[in-house]
Amino acid sequence: MNSATVEASKLSKAFGSKQVLQDISFGVSPGDVIGVLGKNGAGKTTLLDLMLGFTPPTAGAIRVFGHESHSLPGNIKARVGFVPQQDELLDQLSAADQLRVIASFYPRWDSALISRLCGEWGVPLDVRIKSMSVGERQKLSILLAFGHQPELLILDEPVASLDPIARRQFLEQLLTISTDGQRAIVFSSHIVSDIERLANRIWILKEGRLDWQGDLDSLKESIVRLHIRGTGPELPAFQIPGVLNVRRDGAFATAVVRDWTPEAQEALEKGASVQVDVEALGLEEIFVELHR
Amino acid sequence: MFILNPQSGVPIYRQILEQVRRMVASGQLAPGTALPSVRDLAIRHTINPMTISRAYSILETEGLLERNRGKPMTVASQSRNHSQLPKRLEQIGPLVKQTVIAAKQLQLSEAELVKAVRREWEQNDE
Amino acid sequence: MKAVARLVWSYFMGSLVTRVCTFGGLVLIAVAFYVLMTQPQSGEMLWLASIGMIVFFAGSSLMPMMFGRLGGSHSIGVLPGGRLKLLLSAFVTVVIVAIPAALVTPAGYVAGNAGSFADLAKNPQYLEFTLQLAKLMFTSAVLFAGWLYLAMWFISRQRDVAGFSKGLLVMAIVIFTPARDISDLTVSLSWNLLQIAISWLVFGAGFLLWPRYKAVRARRGRDRSAAFALAPARGTAGREFDLMLGTANPWLLIAAFVVPLLIATRFAEGFLQIWLFFLTIFSTVSGAIAGEAAGRSRALWLRGNWTREDLFRQVERSFWRHNGIVLGSLILILFGIGSYAGLPVTMLAVGLPLLILGTVLSTYLGLMITRGLRWLEVLLGIGVMLTLMAVAVIAREREDLVTVFALLASLAVLALALRFTARRRWTRIDWMLCRPDRSLAVRAA
Repeated sequence: MNSATVEASKLSKAFGSKQVLQDISFGVSPGDVIGVLGKNGAGKTTLLDLMLGFTPPTAGAIRVFGHESHSLPGNIKARVGFVPQQDELLDQLSAADQLRVIASFYPRWDSALISRLCGEWGVPLDVRIKSMSVGERQKLSILLAFGHQPELLILDEPVASLDPIARRQFLEQLLTISTDGQRAIVFSSHIVSDIERLANRIWILKEGRLDWQGDLDSLKESIVRLHIRGTGPELPAFQIPGVLNVRRDGAFATAVVRDWTPEAQEALEKGASVQVDVEALGLEEIFVELHR
Repeated sequence: MFILNPQSGVPIYRQILEQVRRMVASGQLAPGTALPSVRDLAIRHTINPMTISRAYSILETEGLLERNRGKPMTVASQSRNHSQLPKRLEQIGPLVKQTVIAAKQLQLSEAELVKAVRREWEQNDE
Repeated sequence: MKAVARLVWSYFMGSLVTRVCTFGGLVLIAVAFYVLMTQPQSGEMLWLASIGMIVFFAGSSLMPMMFGRLGGSHSIGVLPGGRLKLLLSAFVTVVIVAIPAALVTPAGYVAGNAGSFADLAKNPQYLEFTLQLAKLMFTSAVLFAGWLYLAMWFISRQRDVAGFSKGLLVMAIVIFTPARDISDLTVSLSWNLLQIAISWLVFGAGFLLWPRYKAVRARRGRDRSAAFALAPARGTAGREFDLMLGTANPWLLIAAFVVPLLIATRFAEGFLQIWLFFLTIFSTVSGAIAGEAAGRSRALWLRGNWTREDLFRQVERSFWRHNGIVLGSLILILFGIGSYAGLPVTMLAVGLPLLILGTVLSTYLGLMITRGLRWLEVLLGIGVMLTLMAVAVIAREREDLVTVFALLASLAVLALALRFTARRRWTRIDWMLCRPDRSLAVRAA
């Protein structure tokens, strides 16, 4: 239990009468890279803020490195890194000064890594942050969370303003970080292709609940689209467990199902005497289908 | 070495499995060939290493790959491959199924299909 | 020209509120004018006219904001003659808003002098004088309105509490100086015309040439003025906390108000209470920065070794350091300039606790803002400001001292209460609720 980086059980969060998160339980282990997907307003930022202790849960508990997130002690905070959705840079400083300021709060700071990345990513060091472009600001924000080599890195839409090349550089760096140490990364993003590359686990937040949490691989094997053909002109009636939506069209039907297994396929084919072809879906398709 | 598509509905580990199996079966990957390390592959393709290492583990249990202490994984020796016949047949299963379905839809007889297959086999031998 | 007319029309009629103000103001002005023209001895109507003019001015209040938005947008550069037309529309608005003053003041003057308008025709000197008065009022109103619009634009651009307070102060200064000139009738027509010409020329030139200036700057490369940043990097070792909190540089704030203060001093003879009152308001601005502390402290909490309780103590300490320096400067100004300008000792004696209380109260009020600005904080803020202002104004006669002392004592008690509340709120601070931009949807709940 103590090896868990983050642990939440039956977490709920409400603001006044508005219930934002309900009954969320999860675990984050070292080495996990977790992609958090969800529509706008589904509660992604709230979940991340709860992890960081910025806000207390209304019900349930959430612990980071064994400590309650709301009252994290200083030595635990030094093991956590955070990239917020809106940057918190000080406009009047230069990037170098901003880095220096943040570095001063931490006992460990890898200046060599940061200088190298500033060079590779194109973050100008002696220009005032006020005159930096949005992409440069975001890159700087990300670097501010790397320097102290955190074991838990939490990122809220970190690449929204980056061009594809910058995003690729960021992904590469994140991969290097996660493969090097036993670090855990939790990040929310709308850019599904990035999540597909980077994450090994996916959390899908829907209306405040964790609609799916598990391996990305299992997710892709579990939510599939079935193309069903009958032998005659009309398709016989059939029942599929875990169906998300179905469309019938004479002798054909397509159905998107969750929790699909080869046994279920056999059962369907034999039981309703139909022919079933399975189409595997990419993450974006899966996300769209889950929200239909 | 591999063509990997993270956006595909097929999980990456499965893509690696299929490609390694095919390449070993076809001889493209000779026994003793070293495979890229998990880390190298992850960084080169910008994908999560865990899915790669899962593929490698499965391939190791299947006997296709060998783990060498301190060195990258290598393709296992041929003798273990021959016992893989059922596996190899299983590999080609979906393609056979597709061909049979297509033939039936085109209202070809079994004999006509077999003739077509034989013709293709002989042509390919050259 | 059609574009200019359309723009001006939308300034006055753009929203329901401004439409109501425009019509209401015009009605009031018309009524007052009619009465002034027809009834002798009706000088009191001037009050009604003044209110009408203020309301009418409010009806045009969309102008500075729209001007700012359009002026800075990309589309204005693409429209033919866009910037020039925008500039013209602003000038036309200023002129329109100044016309009532030009009509009403002479009418009020005539009516107040128990004359009738028939007399005007008979007496050429009288007519001459009235016309001169009209021209004078018109030009003064044009100047005044122009500065007021500028101040309003400045305020509308501010995004946070500190900026907003700065804007209000600018507005106060802007009103104070010309108003004084007008009430003293120390203006002259030629001086007014000269001011109008110069200010609009400078403004117009700057506005029209702005895109060219931006292009040149862009070509020259980016702003490499980090070396001149007023938040010195070298000397801030150990001040990182203050930098992130926004309290690293009290000298910036001091520099920002020394100039207006000196200007106010120059015009302050006979208006000494007003001067003290300004000084008091300035003492509260330094506390307005405290309103941002909650939002900025999130990053500090995450990176530092403090509990929320510890964090409050650190923040408080940082603000005492910052505000202490500001307060010290204000006190120096109070005693230095005050005695030079001949302020009575009573006022100096009252000024000291006033400034201290102003600083302390506004700081803790600002620190209390951990859930955004809500009714309690606004009401407290207004109450405190009014009380401070009242004390500044009545601290003149010896007889008032008892009231003054009572008020100051109750303010001191309030300060303690505010500190207690602020501290309690910080131990439970919820960073999802403290900034509107972070929790828009959430706060709607």
